[in-house]
Amino acid sequence: MFSLMGGVFLGWALGANDASNVIGPAVSTKMLRFRTAAAVAALFVLAGALLQGSSGVHTLSGLTGMGLTRAVISSVAAAAAVTIMTILRLPVSSSQAVVGAILGIGFFNRQVNFSGLGKVVVCWVGTPVGGAIAAVLVYKVVAFLYNRVNLPMVPSDGFLRIGILAAGAYGAYALGANNVANVTAVFVGAEHLSMTLALLVGGLSIGLGIVTFGRPVMNTVGSRLVQLDSFSAFVVLLAEALTVHFYTFMGVPVSTSQAIVGAVLGIGLLKGTSTVSRKTLIGILFGWFLTPVVAGCISLAGAAIYL
Amino acid sequence: MLRIIFKKQHQVQVLIMKYLQALKMTQESFVLALEMCLGDDKACVDFDVLTDETHRFESHADDVREEIKTLMYGKILLPESREDLMRLLDGIDHIPRYMEIVLNIIKTQRLAIPDFLVGDIRELVSASLEACGLMSLQVEDLFKRKGRIKELVSVIDLKESQCDKIERRLISSIFDSNLDGFQKMQLKELVIYLGDISDQVDIISKQINIMNLKRRV
Repeated sequence: MFSLMGGVFLGWALGANDASNVIGPAVSTKMLRFRTAAAVAALFVLAGALLQGSSGVHTLSGLTGMGLTRAVISSVAAAAAVTIMTILRLPVSSSQAVVGAILGIGFFNRQVNFSGLGKVVVCWVGTPVGGAIAAVLVYKVVAFLYNRVNLPMVPSDGFLRIGILAAGAYGAYALGANNVANVTAVFVGAEHLSMTLALLVGGLSIGLGIVTFGRPVMNTVGSRLVQLDSFSAFVVLLAEALTVHFYTFMGVPVSTSQAIVGAVLGIGLLKGTSTVSRKTLIGILFGWFLTPVVAGCISLAGAAIYL
Repeated sequence: MLRIIFKKQHQVQVLIMKYLQALKMTQESFVLALEMCLGDDKACVDFDVLTDETHRFESHADDVREEIKTLMYGKILLPESREDLMRLLDGIDHIPRYMEIVLNIIKTQRLAIPDFLVGDIRELVSASLEACGLMSLQVEDLFKRKGRIKELVSVIDLKESQCDKIERRLISSIFDSNLDGFQKMQLKELVIYLGDISDQVDIISKQINIMNLKRRV
Protein backbone atom coordinates (compact mmCIF):
# COMPACT_ATOMS: atom_id res chain seq x y z
CA MET A 1 0.00 0.00 0.00
CA PHE A 2 2.81 2.40 0.95
CA SER A 3 4.47 1.78 -2.40
CA LEU A 4 1.36 3.07 -4.13
CA MET A 5 1.96 6.48 -2.58
CA GLY A 6 4.53 7.08 -5.33
CA GLY A 7 1.76 6.73 -7.91
CA VAL A 8 -0.60 8.91 -5.90
CA PHE A 9 2.15 11.57 -5.60
CA LEU A 10 2.62 11.47 -9.37
CA GLY A 11 -1.11 11.70 -10.00
CA TRP A 12 -1.36 14.64 -7.62
CA ALA A 13 1.59 16.41 -9.33
CA LEU A 14 0.10 15.75 -12.76
CA GLY A 15 -3.31 17.06 -11.72
CA ALA A 16 -1.77 20.17 -10.16
CA ASN A 17 0.28 20.95 -13.28
CA ASP A 18 -2.44 20.15 -15.79
CA ALA A 19 -5.38 21.80 -13.99
CA SER A 20 -4.79 25.06 -15.81
CA ASN A 21 -5.11 23.26 -19.14
CA VAL A 22 -8.71 22.33 -18.50
CA ILE A 23 -10.10 24.91 -16.09
CA GLY A 24 -7.73 27.85 -16.61
CA PRO A 25 -9.96 29.75 -19.05
CA ALA A 26 -13.15 29.24 -17.01
CA VAL A 27 -11.40 30.47 -13.86
CA SER A 28 -9.32 33.28 -15.38
CA THR A 29 -12.41 34.66 -17.18
CA LYS A 30 -14.13 34.53 -13.76
CA MET A 31 -16.97 32.39 -15.04
CA LEU A 32 -16.49 29.87 -12.27
CA ARG A 33 -14.87 29.92 -8.87
CA PHE A 34 -11.67 27.90 -8.73
CA ARG A 35 -13.15 25.36 -6.31
CA THR A 36 -16.25 24.71 -8.41
CA ALA A 37 -14.25 24.42 -11.63
CA ALA A 38 -11.69 22.15 -9.95
CA ALA A 39 -14.41 19.89 -8.53
CA VAL A 40 -16.11 19.55 -11.92
CA ALA A 41 -12.75 18.87 -13.61
CA ALA A 42 -11.85 16.24 -10.99
CA LEU A 43 -15.12 14.40 -11.65
CA PHE A 44 -14.58 14.38 -15.41
CA VAL A 45 -10.95 13.28 -14.98
CA LEU A 46 -12.14 10.32 -12.94
CA ALA A 47 -14.80 9.48 -15.55
CA GLY A 48 -12.23 9.68 -18.35
CA ALA A 49 -9.75 7.51 -16.44
CA LEU A 50 -12.31 4.81 -15.67
CA LEU A 51 -14.00 4.75 -19.06
CA GLN A 52 -11.13 5.16 -21.50
CA GLY A 53 -7.86 5.01 -19.56
CA SER A 54 -6.94 1.40 -20.15
CA SER A 55 -5.38 1.63 -23.64
CA GLY A 56 -2.72 4.12 -22.48
CA VAL A 57 -1.96 1.95 -19.47
CA HIS A 58 -1.35 -0.99 -21.83
CA THR A 59 1.10 1.08 -23.91
CA LEU A 60 3.15 2.42 -21.00
CA SER A 61 3.17 -0.77 -18.94
CA GLY A 62 4.72 -2.56 -21.90
CA LEU A 63 7.45 0.05 -22.36
CA THR A 64 9.76 -1.43 -19.78
CA GLY A 65 9.42 -4.36 -17.46
CA MET A 66 10.12 -3.23 -13.92
CA GLY A 67 9.47 -4.42 -10.41
CA LEU A 68 7.64 -2.58 -7.65
CA THR A 69 10.66 -0.73 -6.23
CA ARG A 70 11.59 0.54 -9.67
CA ALA A 71 7.96 1.57 -10.29
CA VAL A 72 7.94 3.60 -7.06
CA ILE A 73 11.29 5.24 -7.84
CA SER A 74 10.16 6.24 -11.33
CA SER A 75 6.82 7.60 -10.06
CA VAL A 76 8.41 9.65 -7.30
CA ALA A 77 11.09 10.94 -9.68
CA ALA A 78 8.50 11.99 -12.27
CA ALA A 79 6.28 13.52 -9.59
CA ALA A 80 9.20 15.48 -8.12
CA ALA A 81 10.18 16.80 -11.57
CA VAL A 82 6.60 17.88 -12.35
CA THR A 83 6.16 19.48 -8.91
CA ILE A 84 9.35 21.50 -9.41
CA MET A 85 7.98 22.73 -12.74
CA THR A 86 4.62 23.53 -11.14
CA ILE A 87 6.36 25.63 -8.50
CA LEU A 88 8.18 27.37 -11.37
CA ARG A 89 4.69 27.91 -12.89
CA LEU A 90 5.62 26.04 -16.05
CA PRO A 91 3.06 23.83 -17.80
CA VAL A 92 4.99 20.67 -18.57
CA SER A 93 4.39 17.18 -19.82
CA SER A 94 3.87 14.59 -17.12
CA SER A 95 4.15 11.98 -19.86
CA GLN A 96 7.67 13.18 -20.60
CA ALA A 97 8.49 13.15 -16.91
CA VAL A 98 7.26 9.56 -16.58
CA VAL A 99 9.04 8.40 -19.70
CA GLY A 100 12.19 10.24 -18.57
CA ALA A 101 11.97 8.54 -15.16
CA ILE A 102 11.32 5.10 -16.69
CA LEU A 103 14.27 5.59 -19.04
CA GLY A 104 16.45 6.64 -16.10
CA ILE A 105 15.79 3.32 -14.42
CA GLY A 106 15.94 1.53 -17.75
CA PHE A 107 19.41 2.95 -18.35
CA PHE A 108 20.47 1.94 -14.88
CA ASN A 109 19.32 -1.63 -15.55
CA ARG A 110 20.20 -1.57 -19.26
CA GLN A 111 16.65 -2.74 -19.96
CA VAL A 112 15.15 -0.06 -22.23
CA ASN A 113 12.65 -1.20 -24.85
CA PHE A 114 13.27 1.36 -27.62
CA SER A 115 10.61 -0.06 -29.97
CA GLY A 116 7.76 1.34 -27.84
CA LEU A 117 9.62 4.59 -27.23
CA GLY A 118 9.56 5.61 -30.90
CA LYS A 119 5.76 5.84 -30.96
CA VAL A 120 5.78 7.92 -27.76
CA VAL A 121 8.45 10.36 -29.00
CA VAL A 122 6.68 10.86 -32.35
CA CYS A 123 3.51 11.69 -30.42
CA TRP A 124 5.40 14.19 -28.24
CA VAL A 125 6.29 16.18 -31.34
CA GLY A 126 2.87 15.56 -32.81
CA THR A 127 0.97 16.82 -29.77
CA PRO A 128 1.79 20.55 -29.90
CA VAL A 129 1.74 20.50 -33.69
CA GLY A 130 -1.59 18.65 -33.60
CA GLY A 131 -2.90 21.12 -31.02
CA ALA A 132 -1.94 24.06 -33.26
CA ILE A 133 -3.50 22.50 -36.37
CA ALA A 134 -6.67 21.53 -34.46
CA ALA A 135 -6.94 25.08 -33.05
CA VAL A 136 -6.66 26.68 -36.49
CA LEU A 137 -9.24 24.30 -37.99
CA VAL A 138 -11.65 24.57 -35.05
CA TYR A 139 -11.26 28.37 -35.04
CA LYS A 140 -12.03 28.65 -38.75
CA VAL A 141 -15.08 26.38 -38.62
CA VAL A 142 -16.58 27.71 -35.36
CA ALA A 143 -15.86 31.35 -36.29
CA PHE A 144 -17.63 30.86 -39.64
CA LEU A 145 -20.72 29.42 -37.93
CA TYR A 146 -20.60 31.94 -35.07
CA ASN A 147 -20.45 34.90 -37.45
CA ARG A 148 -23.13 33.43 -39.66
CA VAL A 149 -25.56 32.95 -36.77
CA ASN A 150 -24.63 36.46 -35.53
CA LEU A 151 -26.08 36.13 -32.04
CA PRO A 152 -26.98 39.20 -29.97
CA MET A 153 -24.96 39.96 -26.86
CA VAL A 154 -26.70 37.82 -24.21
CA PRO A 155 -27.13 34.59 -26.22
CA SER A 156 -23.62 35.03 -27.62
CA ASP A 157 -22.27 35.23 -24.08
CA GLY A 158 -24.33 32.22 -23.13
CA PHE A 159 -22.97 30.21 -26.04
CA LEU A 160 -19.37 31.02 -25.09
CA ARG A 161 -19.94 30.31 -21.39
CA ILE A 162 -21.46 26.92 -22.10
CA GLY A 163 -18.80 26.28 -24.75
CA ILE A 164 -15.92 27.01 -22.36
CA LEU A 165 -17.45 24.89 -19.59
CA ALA A 166 -18.26 21.99 -21.93
CA ALA A 167 -14.84 22.10 -23.63
CA GLY A 168 -13.17 22.28 -20.20
CA ALA A 169 -15.16 19.25 -19.01
CA TYR A 170 -14.29 17.40 -22.23
CA GLY A 171 -10.65 18.39 -21.74
CA ALA A 172 -10.76 17.03 -18.18
CA TYR A 173 -12.28 13.80 -19.47
CA ALA A 174 -9.56 13.51 -22.13
CA LEU A 175 -6.91 14.31 -19.48
CA GLY A 176 -8.15 11.51 -17.26
CA ALA A 177 -8.50 9.05 -20.15
CA ASN A 178 -5.08 9.83 -21.56
CA ASN A 179 -2.89 10.61 -18.59
CA VAL A 180 -3.99 8.04 -16.04
CA ALA A 181 -1.48 5.73 -17.71
CA ASN A 182 1.36 8.02 -16.62
CA VAL A 183 0.30 7.61 -13.01
CA THR A 184 -0.35 3.93 -12.52
CA ALA A 185 0.82 2.08 -15.65
CA VAL A 186 4.12 1.17 -13.99
CA PHE A 187 2.20 -0.49 -11.13
CA VAL A 188 0.15 -2.48 -13.63
CA GLY A 189 3.39 -3.41 -15.40
CA ALA A 190 4.82 -4.53 -12.05
CA GLU A 191 1.61 -6.53 -11.47
CA HIS A 192 1.02 -4.63 -8.26
CA LEU A 193 -2.39 -3.26 -9.31
CA SER A 194 -5.29 -4.55 -11.35
CA MET A 195 -6.35 -2.43 -14.32
CA THR A 196 -9.57 -1.20 -12.66
CA LEU A 197 -7.86 -0.27 -9.41
CA ALA A 198 -5.05 1.43 -11.32
CA LEU A 199 -7.56 3.55 -13.23
CA LEU A 200 -9.45 4.43 -10.04
CA VAL A 201 -6.35 5.38 -8.05
CA GLY A 202 -4.91 7.30 -11.00
CA GLY A 203 -8.14 9.21 -11.65
CA LEU A 204 -8.65 10.08 -7.99
CA SER A 205 -5.08 11.26 -7.45
CA ILE A 206 -5.13 13.47 -10.57
CA GLY A 207 -8.41 14.94 -9.33
CA LEU A 208 -6.85 15.56 -5.92
CA GLY A 209 -3.97 17.45 -7.55
CA ILE A 210 -6.37 19.66 -9.52
CA VAL A 211 -8.39 20.54 -6.42
CA THR A 212 -5.53 21.10 -3.97
CA PHE A 213 -2.63 22.61 -5.99
CA GLY A 214 -4.07 23.61 -9.35
CA ARG A 215 -3.63 27.37 -9.02
CA PRO A 216 0.11 28.08 -9.63
CA VAL A 217 0.27 27.32 -13.37
CA MET A 218 -3.20 28.80 -14.01
CA ASN A 219 -2.11 32.10 -15.56
CA THR A 220 0.95 30.97 -17.54
CA VAL A 221 -1.00 29.55 -20.47
CA GLY A 222 -4.22 31.54 -20.13
CA SER A 223 -2.77 35.03 -20.06
CA ARG A 224 1.02 35.20 -20.05
CA LEU A 225 1.66 33.29 -23.29
CA VAL A 226 -1.13 34.89 -25.31
CA GLN A 227 -3.93 37.13 -24.05
CA LEU A 228 -7.01 35.09 -24.91
CA ASP A 229 -10.50 36.44 -25.48
CA SER A 230 -13.42 34.19 -24.53
CA PHE A 231 -13.98 32.87 -28.06
CA SER A 232 -10.29 31.95 -28.46
CA ALA A 233 -10.29 30.36 -25.00
CA PHE A 234 -13.19 28.15 -26.06
CA VAL A 235 -11.43 27.19 -29.30
CA VAL A 236 -8.16 26.46 -27.48
CA LEU A 237 -9.87 24.21 -24.94
CA LEU A 238 -11.81 22.34 -27.60
CA ALA A 239 -8.71 21.89 -29.78
CA GLU A 240 -6.72 20.65 -26.79
CA ALA A 241 -9.41 18.17 -25.78
CA LEU A 242 -9.79 16.87 -29.35
CA THR A 243 -6.02 16.46 -29.72
CA VAL A 244 -5.58 14.62 -26.42
CA HIS A 245 -8.63 12.46 -27.05
CA PHE A 246 -7.27 11.56 -30.49
CA TYR A 247 -4.09 10.24 -28.86
CA THR A 248 -6.17 8.39 -26.28
CA PHE A 249 -7.69 6.37 -29.12
CA MET A 250 -4.15 5.64 -30.31
CA GLY A 251 -3.28 4.45 -26.81
CA VAL A 252 -0.47 6.95 -26.34
CA PRO A 253 -0.30 9.14 -23.25
CA VAL A 254 0.46 12.70 -24.32
CA SER A 255 0.63 16.02 -22.57
CA THR A 256 -2.39 18.28 -22.22
CA SER A 257 0.13 21.08 -21.57
CA GLN A 258 1.76 20.50 -24.93
CA ALA A 259 -1.61 20.22 -26.65
CA ILE A 260 -2.90 23.44 -25.14
CA VAL A 261 0.33 25.38 -25.70
CA GLY A 262 0.23 24.19 -29.33
CA ALA A 263 -3.41 25.31 -29.57
CA VAL A 264 -2.66 28.69 -27.99
CA LEU A 265 0.22 29.18 -30.43
CA GLY A 266 -2.07 28.19 -33.30
CA ILE A 267 -4.46 30.96 -32.26
CA GLY A 268 -1.50 33.30 -31.79
CA LEU A 269 -0.35 32.57 -35.35
CA LEU A 270 -3.87 33.17 -36.69
CA LYS A 271 -4.07 36.51 -34.94
CA GLY A 272 -0.47 37.55 -35.57
CA THR A 273 2.72 36.38 -33.87
CA SER A 274 3.11 39.72 -32.10
CA THR A 275 0.42 38.55 -29.64
CA VAL A 276 2.65 35.67 -28.45
CA SER A 277 5.00 36.35 -25.52
CA ARG A 278 8.37 34.96 -26.66
CA LYS A 279 9.78 35.10 -23.14
CA THR A 280 6.98 32.90 -21.78
CA LEU A 281 7.21 30.57 -24.79
CA ILE A 282 10.97 30.09 -24.34
CA GLY A 283 10.37 29.40 -20.63
CA ILE A 284 7.78 26.77 -21.50
CA LEU A 285 9.99 25.10 -24.14
CA PHE A 286 12.87 25.07 -21.67
CA GLY A 287 10.56 23.40 -19.13
CA TRP A 288 9.61 20.75 -21.69
CA PHE A 289 13.26 19.95 -22.34
CA LEU A 290 14.15 20.00 -18.67
CA THR A 291 11.30 17.83 -17.33
CA PRO A 292 12.32 14.40 -18.74
CA VAL A 293 15.98 15.19 -18.05
CA VAL A 294 15.30 16.10 -14.40
CA ALA A 295 12.95 13.13 -13.95
CA GLY A 296 15.53 10.81 -15.56
CA CYS A 297 18.34 12.10 -13.34
CA ILE A 298 16.24 11.78 -10.16
CA SER A 299 15.18 8.24 -11.01
CA LEU A 300 18.75 7.32 -11.97
CA ALA A 301 19.94 8.67 -8.61
CA GLY A 302 17.09 6.85 -6.84
CA ALA A 303 17.96 3.63 -8.62
CA ALA A 304 21.60 4.03 -7.68
CA ILE A 305 20.64 4.46 -4.01
CA TYR A 306 17.88 1.88 -3.62
CA LEU A 307 18.69 -0.82 -6.18
CA MET B 1 -35.39 27.31 -22.66
CA LEU B 2 -32.35 29.57 -23.04
CA ARG B 3 -34.08 32.22 -20.94
CA ILE B 4 -34.43 29.73 -18.09
CA ILE B 5 -30.75 28.75 -18.28
CA PHE B 6 -29.56 32.35 -18.61
CA LYS B 7 -32.13 33.91 -16.30
CA LYS B 8 -29.73 36.42 -14.75
CA GLN B 9 -28.23 37.37 -18.11
CA HIS B 10 -31.73 38.02 -19.39
CA GLN B 11 -32.37 40.11 -16.28
CA VAL B 12 -29.46 42.38 -17.29
CA GLN B 13 -31.10 42.86 -20.67
CA VAL B 14 -34.45 43.71 -19.03
CA LEU B 15 -32.77 46.21 -16.70
CA ILE B 16 -30.94 47.90 -19.56
CA MET B 17 -34.28 48.40 -21.35
CA LYS B 18 -35.60 49.82 -18.07
CA TYR B 19 -32.60 52.14 -17.91
CA LEU B 20 -33.28 53.36 -21.46
CA GLN B 21 -36.90 54.01 -20.46
CA ALA B 22 -35.71 56.05 -17.44
CA LEU B 23 -33.38 57.96 -19.76
CA LYS B 24 -36.30 58.73 -22.07
CA MET B 25 -38.39 60.02 -19.13
CA THR B 26 -35.48 62.24 -18.06
CA GLN B 27 -35.24 63.65 -21.59
CA GLU B 28 -38.98 64.34 -21.76
CA SER B 29 -38.97 66.05 -18.39
CA PHE B 30 -35.87 68.05 -19.40
CA VAL B 31 -37.57 69.33 -22.56
CA LEU B 32 -40.72 70.28 -20.64
CA ALA B 33 -38.67 72.15 -18.03
CA LEU B 34 -36.57 73.94 -20.66
CA GLU B 35 -39.66 74.88 -22.64
CA MET B 36 -40.94 76.71 -19.56
CA CYS B 37 -38.09 79.14 -20.01
CA LEU B 38 -38.21 79.31 -23.79
CA GLY B 39 -41.91 80.13 -24.15
CA ASP B 40 -43.20 83.57 -25.13
CA ASP B 41 -43.74 84.82 -21.58
CA LYS B 42 -40.55 83.18 -20.22
CA ALA B 43 -42.27 83.09 -16.87
CA CYS B 44 -40.63 79.76 -16.04
CA VAL B 45 -43.85 78.67 -14.30
CA ASP B 46 -43.42 75.17 -12.84
CA PHE B 47 -39.77 75.24 -13.91
CA ASP B 48 -38.56 74.28 -10.44
CA VAL B 49 -41.10 71.49 -10.21
CA LEU B 50 -40.06 70.10 -13.58
CA THR B 51 -36.37 70.47 -12.74
CA ASP B 52 -36.95 68.46 -9.58
CA GLU B 53 -38.85 65.90 -11.61
CA THR B 54 -35.97 65.67 -14.09
CA HIS B 55 -33.66 65.09 -11.14
CA ARG B 56 -35.94 62.32 -9.86
CA PHE B 57 -35.93 60.58 -13.24
CA GLU B 58 -32.17 60.97 -13.44
CA SER B 59 -31.81 59.48 -9.95
CA HIS B 60 -34.08 56.61 -10.94
CA ALA B 61 -31.88 55.98 -14.01
CA ASP B 62 -28.87 56.00 -11.66
CA ASP B 63 -30.56 53.44 -9.41
CA VAL B 64 -31.25 51.15 -12.37
CA ARG B 65 -27.65 51.59 -13.54
CA GLU B 66 -26.36 50.59 -10.10
CA GLU B 67 -28.72 47.59 -10.10
CA ILE B 68 -27.27 46.49 -13.44
CA LYS B 69 -23.72 46.94 -12.16
CA THR B 70 -24.43 44.97 -8.99
CA LEU B 71 -25.92 42.18 -11.06
CA MET B 72 -22.93 42.15 -13.40
CA TYR B 73 -20.43 42.12 -10.52
CA GLY B 74 -22.09 38.83 -9.58
CA LYS B 75 -20.16 37.31 -12.51
CA ILE B 76 -23.05 37.58 -14.95
CA LEU B 77 -21.81 37.76 -18.57
CA LEU B 78 -18.27 37.27 -19.81
CA PRO B 79 -15.61 39.73 -18.59
CA GLU B 80 -15.35 41.42 -22.01
CA SER B 81 -19.10 41.99 -22.16
CA ARG B 82 -19.18 43.12 -18.54
CA GLU B 83 -16.43 45.65 -19.16
CA ASP B 84 -18.09 46.91 -22.36
CA LEU B 85 -21.48 47.30 -20.70
CA MET B 86 -20.03 49.06 -17.65
CA ARG B 87 -18.25 51.54 -19.93
CA LEU B 88 -21.40 51.98 -22.00
CA LEU B 89 -23.57 52.69 -18.95
CA ASP B 90 -21.02 55.12 -17.53
CA GLY B 91 -20.94 56.88 -20.91
CA ILE B 92 -24.72 57.11 -21.20
CA ASP B 93 -24.91 58.42 -17.64
CA HIS B 94 -23.24 61.67 -18.78
CA ILE B 95 -26.30 62.54 -20.90
CA PRO B 96 -28.91 62.99 -18.13
CA ARG B 97 -26.17 64.63 -16.06
CA TYR B 98 -25.64 67.30 -18.77
CA MET B 99 -29.40 67.84 -18.89
CA GLU B 100 -29.51 68.36 -15.15
CA ILE B 101 -26.56 70.75 -15.32
CA VAL B 102 -28.34 72.83 -17.98
CA LEU B 103 -31.47 73.09 -15.84
CA ASN B 104 -29.43 73.87 -12.73
CA ILE B 105 -27.55 76.66 -14.53
CA ILE B 106 -30.88 78.24 -15.43
CA LYS B 107 -32.27 77.67 -11.94
CA THR B 108 -29.35 78.67 -9.73
CA GLN B 109 -28.01 81.51 -11.89
CA ARG B 110 -31.51 82.89 -12.61
CA LEU B 111 -30.59 82.82 -16.26
CA ALA B 112 -33.02 84.36 -18.72
CA ILE B 113 -32.70 83.15 -22.29
CA PRO B 114 -32.91 86.06 -24.77
CA ASP B 115 -35.45 85.81 -27.61
CA PHE B 116 -32.83 85.79 -30.37
CA LEU B 117 -31.41 82.51 -29.03
CA VAL B 118 -34.66 80.62 -28.47
CA GLY B 119 -35.02 79.25 -32.03
CA ASP B 120 -31.49 77.90 -32.21
CA ILE B 121 -31.65 76.47 -28.69
CA ARG B 122 -34.88 74.64 -29.55
CA GLU B 123 -33.23 73.32 -32.72
CA LEU B 124 -30.12 72.23 -30.77
CA VAL B 125 -32.17 70.46 -28.10
CA SER B 126 -34.39 68.80 -30.67
CA ALA B 127 -31.44 67.49 -32.73
CA SER B 128 -29.61 66.34 -29.59
CA LEU B 129 -32.62 64.43 -28.32
CA GLU B 130 -33.20 62.87 -31.74
CA ALA B 131 -29.60 61.64 -31.57
CA CYS B 132 -30.32 60.29 -28.06
CA GLY B 133 -33.31 58.36 -29.39
CA LEU B 134 -31.22 56.85 -32.17
CA MET B 135 -28.55 55.88 -29.64
CA SER B 136 -31.20 54.09 -27.58
CA LEU B 137 -32.14 52.13 -30.72
CA GLN B 138 -28.50 51.15 -31.10
CA VAL B 139 -28.40 49.87 -27.51
CA GLU B 140 -31.56 47.84 -28.16
CA ASP B 141 -29.94 46.45 -31.30
CA LEU B 142 -27.02 45.16 -29.24
CA PHE B 143 -29.48 42.89 -27.47
CA LYS B 144 -31.91 42.14 -30.26
CA ARG B 145 -29.65 42.18 -33.33
CA LYS B 146 -31.73 44.08 -35.88
CA GLY B 147 -28.61 45.04 -37.81
CA ARG B 148 -29.02 48.82 -37.66
CA ILE B 149 -26.06 49.72 -35.48
CA LYS B 150 -23.59 50.66 -38.22
CA GLU B 151 -26.20 52.52 -40.22
CA LEU B 152 -27.23 54.52 -37.13
CA VAL B 153 -23.62 55.53 -36.43
CA SER B 154 -23.64 57.61 -39.64
CA VAL B 155 -27.04 59.15 -38.87
CA ILE B 156 -25.95 60.09 -35.33
CA ASP B 157 -22.68 61.46 -36.68
CA LEU B 158 -24.65 63.75 -39.01
CA LYS B 159 -26.87 64.86 -36.12
CA GLU B 160 -23.78 65.62 -34.04
CA SER B 161 -22.30 67.73 -36.86
CA GLN B 162 -25.61 69.55 -37.14
CA CYS B 163 -25.56 70.21 -33.37
CA ASP B 164 -21.95 71.46 -33.59
CA LYS B 165 -22.96 73.96 -36.25
CA ILE B 166 -25.92 75.20 -34.18
CA GLU B 167 -23.69 75.41 -31.12
CA ARG B 168 -21.13 77.55 -32.98
CA ARG B 169 -23.92 79.70 -34.39
CA LEU B 170 -25.37 80.20 -30.92
CA ILE B 171 -22.02 81.19 -29.41
CA SER B 172 -21.40 83.64 -32.27
CA SER B 173 -24.87 85.13 -31.74
CA ILE B 174 -24.21 85.49 -28.02
CA PHE B 175 -20.92 87.33 -28.54
CA ASP B 176 -22.31 89.46 -31.39
CA SER B 177 -25.13 90.66 -29.14
CA ASN B 178 -25.25 93.64 -26.81
CA LEU B 179 -25.66 91.52 -23.71
CA ASP B 180 -23.31 92.31 -20.85
CA GLY B 181 -20.13 90.26 -20.59
CA PHE B 182 -21.22 88.26 -17.56
CA GLN B 183 -24.49 87.17 -19.20
CA LYS B 184 -22.56 86.22 -22.34
CA MET B 185 -20.36 83.88 -20.29
CA GLN B 186 -23.39 82.37 -18.58
CA LEU B 187 -25.15 81.71 -21.88
CA LYS B 188 -21.99 80.35 -23.46
CA GLU B 189 -21.66 77.87 -20.61
CA LEU B 190 -25.30 76.83 -21.09
CA VAL B 191 -24.84 76.32 -24.84
CA ILE B 192 -21.65 74.32 -24.34
CA TYR B 193 -23.42 71.93 -21.95
CA LEU B 194 -26.31 71.59 -24.42
CA GLY B 195 -23.78 70.81 -27.16
CA ASP B 196 -22.10 68.22 -24.93
CA ILE B 197 -25.24 66.08 -25.11
CA SER B 198 -24.86 65.30 -28.83
CA ASP B 199 -21.06 65.01 -28.51
CA GLN B 200 -21.53 62.38 -25.83
CA VAL B 201 -24.20 60.57 -27.88
CA ASP B 202 -21.77 60.43 -30.81
CA ILE B 203 -19.02 58.97 -28.60
CA ILE B 204 -21.40 56.32 -27.25
CA SER B 205 -22.72 55.51 -30.71
CA LYS B 206 -19.19 54.73 -31.91
CA GLN B 207 -18.53 52.75 -28.75
CA ILE B 208 -21.63 50.63 -29.42
CA ASN B 209 -20.45 50.03 -32.97
CA ILE B 210 -17.09 48.78 -31.68
CA MET B 211 -18.84 46.56 -29.12
CA ASN B 212 -20.87 45.11 -31.96
CA LEU B 213 -17.82 44.58 -34.19
CA LYS B 214 -15.93 42.92 -31.32
CA ARG B 215 -18.66 40.31 -31.17
CA ARG B 216 -17.63 39.07 -34.61
CA VAL B 217 -14.57 36.84 -34.73
